[in-house]
Formats: sequence, C-alpha cells, structure tokens
Amino acid sequence: MRQRPLWLLAPGGALMILVILLPLGLAGWISTIDLDQYTLRRWVQAPFIGLGNYTESLGSGLLHSIWISVSFAVLSTLATIPIGIAAALVTQNAYRGRALVRAVFLIPYVLPSFVVATVWRTMLQPDGVVNNWLGADGSLWLSGPRSYWALILVEIWAAWPFIYLMALAALQSVDHEVHEASAVDGATWWPKLTRVVLPYLRGPVLLACLLATLNHINNFTLPFVLFGAPAPDDVNVMPMLVYVTSFQSLRFGLSAAMAVVSLIIIAIPLFAYLRAVRLDVHEEGGRR
Amino acid sequence: MSASAEATRLLPRPLIVTLTAVLCAIVLAPILYIVLASLNSDVGVASGEFWPSSFSLDSYTRVWTTADLLTGIVNSLIVCALTAVASALLGTTTAYVLVRYTFTGRLTILRGLVGLQSIPGTLMLLPVFVMFSSAGNYLGLTVIGTRWGLFVAYLTFALPFSTWVMVTYLRGLPRELEEAARTDGASTLVILRRIIFPLSLPAIVVAGIFAFLLGWNDVLFASVLTRPDTHTAAVALQVFGSSQEGGAVPVYSQMMAAALICAVPVVVLYLVFQRYLVGGLTTGGVK
Repeated sequence: MRQRPLWLLAPGGALMILVILLPLGLAGWISTIDLDQYTLRRWVQAPFIGLGNYTESLGSGLLHSIWISVSFAVLSTLATIPIGIAAALVTQNAYRGRALVRAVFLIPYVLPSFVVATVWRTMLQPDGVVNNWLGADGSLWLSGPRSYWALILVEIWAAWPFIYLMALAALQSVDHEVHEASAVDGATWWPKLTRVVLPYLRGPVLLACLLATLNHINNFTLPFVLFGAPAPDDVNVMPMLVYVTSFQSLRFGLSAAMAVVSLIIIAIPLFAYLRAVRLDVHEEGGRR
Repeated sequence: MSASAEATRLLPRPLIVTLTAVLCAIVLAPILYIVLASLNSDVGVASGEFWPSSFSLDSYTRVWTTADLLTGIVNSLIVCALTAVASALLGTTTAYVLVRYTFTGRLTILRGLVGLQSIPGTLMLLPVFVMFSSAGNYLGLTVIGTRWGLFVAYLTFALPFSTWVMVTYLRGLPRELEEAARTDGASTLVILRRIIFPLSLPAIVVAGIFAFLLGWNDVLFASVLTRPDTHTAAVALQVFGSSQEGGAVPVYSQMMAAALICAVPVVVLYLVFQRYLVGGLTTGGVK
C-alpha cells in the first residue's frame, strides 16, 4: 500500500476551514447573542440571549419574507420549465445558423445579474420603455404589488437558459434507435414527444429544477439592484431582509438568526439535490 | 433532408420556426434596448424612447466622469484575477487527492463542496464581516475596505466551486500515465506538476474563469466590504443606478453604456472559451 499524500489537502483544506467552516459556526453563535452596532467592537462580550433572536425574527417580517421567497422561487422555476424545454427541442436538430441561435439563448444567463437588473430597472421606470409599449403611462413596476411580478418576470428572463442547457444535454443522450423506432411506428410528433422523448428528460430536468429553485431563493443581486435596499414589502425576499437587518438596521444577531432560518428552508431542496447528484467516481453498489 | 435527421426532429418545422423566432425576440429585445439606449441621449431614454431620435457615442465618453467606473473595473480585475488563480490552483490540488485516494470523510467533503455552493451569501457575509471587523478591533489590522479582504471573502464561494469543477474533470482522467510515472519513481509533487497540471489545463482554465465570474458578478460582498476607492465594477454600477431616481434628469443613457461596459469582459470570456464553459454551466452554482 503506497503512501497517500493527504497532506496535499492541507493548503486548500486549511483555507476552506478558515473562510467557510469558521464563518458558518460563527454565524450560528452570532444568532444567539444580542449583537448590534454598539456591541460589535467587543462582540465577544455581547450578551447571550439564547433563542431570543429567533423569537424576535418571527415578529419582524420573517414569515412574510419566507412566503415571498418561496412562492417567488417556485413560480419562477415552474415558468422556466416549459420555456427551457421548448428551447432545447427547437435547437436539437442541426440547421444552418443553429450555433448562432444557441449563442443567443445563452445571452440572458451569461450577462451578469447586476447588468440585467440595471437594464430592467431602467426599462421599468414609470416613464420607461415598458410602459410606453403597454400604453400604461406611469404604472409602477418597481414598487407596490406589481413589483412582485416584475421580479418574477425578470428572473424568468434571466434564468430559463439553465433549464434549457440541462434539457439539451438530456435530449442529446436519447439514443438514436429510440427516435427511429418511434418513426417506424408511425407516431406523429405529439405522442412521440410526450410518450417517448419527454420521459427521458424527467430526471435531468427535475435535478435542474432543484438547483434552479435554490438559486432563485438565494438570489440577492436581482432584487437588490432592481428595487434597492430596503426593498418594497412585496419583494422583501429573505436575502434582502437579512441584508437590511444586518447592514442598515445593524441588528447583527437578529439578522444571523434570520439567515439560519433561511438556511433551514433551503436545506429541504438542498438535501434532495445532494441525494440525486453524482458525487463519486464509483457509483455502483448504491454507495452515494 | 436525410431520413435519420427527419427521424430525430421532434417538432413540426413551422412550430420550430415560430418558437425560435419568439424566444430570440424575447431575449434580444432588452439587449437591443441597452445598445440603442446607450447610443441615445439621456433625455431620450428618460422619456421612454426605444428608437433614439438622435444617435451619438457621447454616453460612452461621458460616463467615465459621471460614475467612478474605471476605479471599479480596475479593482474588479485585480481582485477577481487573484481569486481565479488562487482557487483554480488550490482547487486542482485538493481535487486530485479527493479523486485519486480514498480516506475517511472523503464523501462528506465531496458533499460539502456541492452543498456549499447553495449556501446563501447573506449567511456567509455577516460572520465574515464580523471576523474582518474584529481583525481591526483586536489585532489592529484593517481588512474591511481593502482588496485583500474582498479576495478572501470571494474564496468562500470560488474555492468550493473550483474544487468541484476539478473533481468532475479529474475523475474522467485515466490513471495510466500517473501509474507509469509512479513506477518510474516520480513523487506526487512531480506527478502533479508534470502530468496532472498539463493534462487538465483546459479544466483549470474553466475553473479559474468561473471563479473570476463569481467575483465579477458579485454585488453582495462588495457592497459591504469595500470603500469608495476599492469599489468593484458591480458596486460602481449599482451605486450609479440607485443615485439616479429623484434627481433632475436621470442619465440613463450613460447608465446603459456603463452596463454594457461592465458586461464586456464577461461576454468576451464566454465567446473565447464558449466550448469549454457551456459544459461547466450545467454543473450549476455559478449564478
């Protein structure tokens, strides 16, 4: 048995402990102390208040934010599924110019979120180009109840190519024989699509949906740049609430408690994703 | 059209054409808008014009004095390049051990690498901020507001991501070359330097580019951990944008020019490395 050079893990591992595990543990601890701008300078001596921050967070709009975040993430994911699959289906076959179409489909995903948000923020101004097109002068998109739908629309615009990429990869793994067999059977395109091809996409697209939902829930940049901080009540998603509570209200302990709660909510899709993703080289034997 | 191409076509041709046209229009309309608006006058954009009444490149020259964009771009380039190099190199070494050797806790580490990419940034930012500010209070080190601080903060996301990219690549790499080298008496370091690094260079570049983009696209960490002179491009644009409302005439045309300028490095990277990057996109986590 030859020597395993585990010491090679040391530089990367030490750095990860320092910049990831230590902060994560610290976040848990901060969530149990009364830390604000007055106690920050000597935060080690900040008073321990147990679950006080957690009970207070329930009364400070956390439940509302959870609802906004979760519904926003689920709606965005649901809306991007048909768009992404349709885009994958139309670029499956080679034709002249397909490379260009594929490149165009990636644009929204490739553009930095802060650029996307800046552009939509300008387009959605009361006197902006969107209201000009709709003939709805002065309608508010960036505050009030419509802001929620504005957030979802922009997120859909920016995020659907992820589903497209995953669906395309899955489509390309469908065996040629499957296509030919169903062509020989004389199946028309709709039954062939729904009974033969789409079942192949179910697994990969489901995986993509889990990851997409996680990304929607964690998206801070889009609401932050689109609406500014503090965000309007209708789009006060969890990341915005946590951010404003820490860095504008300077209630660090309270905000850490909120962040821990949001981690617990994320844990549900995250564990499902971790179970489904291929972690190891040796997949056989049910070892995951 | 050949029979086999006919067989794999999933939708009727008219439907393909219609869907492609609709999707392209939805994607390209806002893109066209940025370009047109950046060529328009500030007043024209503010009044909701789509097609400019006059074209000029003024916005591209004036934006540099209106917003502190140049400082931002320089800072972003420095911090993100450092992040890219550090996380790609450390990620490769770590991934090599994770892929080639088995040991207790290995699966936990692999799971952690994937899971960490979905940890909310807002959860990480607060303890990092508290750690950095106590480095100031207890040790007398200024970390908040420096590029070094931002670099360390970006490693929290870039390092697990780059390591995971390298894990997915290295496990597809055949062992034969390494085994041969080892029989010839090469040490692990020599194998890493002479075999693994050269062979996985394309993947290392991808891991580095993604680490770079994670930093370039970040607003959250930079908005808290930088001062005006260490602003990144993203923060410069965000501050520029949020200072527009409530003023006399918002300079939206210049803002669109600034947005395009901030997107250029990203678009160039994608165009150059498109073939390699698209594969990496599906491993998730970048956005």
